[in-house]
Amino acid sequence: MLEVHDIHRSFGGIKAVEGVSLNVEKGRIVGLIGTNGAGKTTLFNVVSGYLGADAGRVTFEGADLLGAPPYQIAKRGMVRTFQTPTGFPRMTVLENLLVFLRDNDTSIAPALFRRRISGSISAEDSKLAGEVLELFGLSEKRDVWVQDLGAPELKMLEFARATMASPKIMLLDEPAAGVNLALLDSLVDTIFQLRDDGMTFLIVDHNLGFICRICDYIYAMADGQVICEGEPDHVINDKAVIDCYIGSAGTDQ
Amino acid sequence: MESLLLFFIGILSIGAIYAILCLALNLEAGVDGLWDLGIVSFFGIGAYTYVLLTAPPAAHHQAYILGLGLPIWIGVIAAGIMGGFVALLIGTSSLRLKREYFLITTLAFGEVIRQVYSNELWLTNGVAGIFSLAPPFRTTLEPGAQQVAMFALLVCAVAIVLWLVQALTISPFGRALKALRENEPLAMMAGINPFSHHIRVFVVAGVLSGVAGSFYVWYNTLILPHQFVADVTFFVWTAIIIGGIGNNRGAMIGGFLFIILHEALRFLPLSSNMAETVSSLRTAIVGLVLILVLRWRPEGLLSEKRARIVVRGS
Repeated sequence: MLEVHDIHRSFGGIKAVEGVSLNVEKGRIVGLIGTNGAGKTTLFNVVSGYLGADAGRVTFEGADLLGAPPYQIAKRGMVRTFQTPTGFPRMTVLENLLVFLRDNDTSIAPALFRRRISGSISAEDSKLAGEVLELFGLSEKRDVWVQDLGAPELKMLEFARATMASPKIMLLDEPAAGVNLALLDSLVDTIFQLRDDGMTFLIVDHNLGFICRICDYIYAMADGQVICEGEPDHVINDKAVIDCYIGSAGTDQ
Repeated sequence: MESLLLFFIGILSIGAIYAILCLALNLEAGVDGLWDLGIVSFFGIGAYTYVLLTAPPAAHHQAYILGLGLPIWIGVIAAGIMGGFVALLIGTSSLRLKREYFLITTLAFGEVIRQVYSNELWLTNGVAGIFSLAPPFRTTLEPGAQQVAMFALLVCAVAIVLWLVQALTISPFGRALKALRENEPLAMMAGINPFSHHIRVFVVAGVLSGVAGSFYVWYNTLILPHQFVADVTFFVWTAIIIGGIGNNRGAMIGGFLFIILHEALRFLPLSSNMAETVSSLRTAIVGLVLILVLRWRPEGLLSEKRARIVVRGS
């Protein structure tokens, strides 16, 4: 579904990503691990269109993505979350979700001539929003401005937004960071639930325990390169990976 | 008494014209986040378009093009179209710039356009301006009734513009604009193309400001390059900050309030010498109100509201 082929990207003299290739098949949960500075987020930015690449190829369902702006990539059905939770601060939680509705018609004419329709949402969209809010425990915050949300709620908003877009693939950047244990369990359940409904995931995280629990396949990165790939059991027992994660692998487990 | 009433109606008429400018600016700067310091460009273009189409041909001591003597309603529509067209030209070249650079560019365009009015004699009759332009109802009504009728027209225009701007604000288009204002990188993730949204809202604001320009000619019955200095832009910005940026009703009230504050000193009975001194205090009064508002109501008199979203069919 998503194929990343031999991507290179450097910033000045620093080679952030050096020839990374990976493959995400439909309906799978693929993980990407690595220490700080391994190039995971750079790779994410390249794939989602926020950064250009110096060389390489990214294809999504056979179409070339590299060089396309983020809004075109998003329209193809790829949505990502951000490491630091963000949102549209002076818009309500519900509005934050509605912006992400697929097939939003943002042309001017219907806004003027079909005001009653344009200024409201369909029962269908409202139902979807209700379900998404419920799923991520945000129902009570529906009409609250996002700037008034607490950190955990903001984190949930990241996932709610991505789900609202009904994408074909979700790129989650450190979904477990800053999430407490109880919430993490429900997050894992939600990811599995979405996967069972046909969603595909590419997940970056530091938390090895979390990654091993949910992923079908893992790529490990270090210094801009993939050093190991395979099933979770294989990757966490790999010598190169253990070397990179020394000290932290034990405590995370 | 009647003359005082007419005087007050005159002030409210100019207030209505400013209210339209405020609603236009609020759409692009309050709902979307465009820091446009060139709203006067479209206002002036609209005014000159209106004059060149509706005025009689230039007399022997004047020089300006066209002077077709067309009906005023054609002039008003053309003013809107030209305002939008110039917005499209300016926007295409400047909207790819980030905030501060966009701000400087739009300010510069406003100044360049004013220089054109002043210096291209063949086009606009230059600084001498064009005088004795007929307001609506000149031939059909008494001067007093004429002023009241024009005010009624302007109130209708404000109502229509408020309706239009509000309709856009609550639509998915308006939501996309707010998303761009709040967080452009994230908005792109929602499939929103920043440029295509910014340029459309910029053109809508240009059309509305252009129409307001034609009304300004009704009010003044003359046109001079000096009427379109950058002050107008700053007045409109001040008005929407006082009224409540992001809130359409607030912006509209801000427009009226600004003009009332600005003209308030005219009510003082003063000798002509004193009047000149005191009139230079007008800006100071507005400035004082602006400071007070920012101190105690930093979001303006009416702040932006949390959107209540209605579900269709319920």
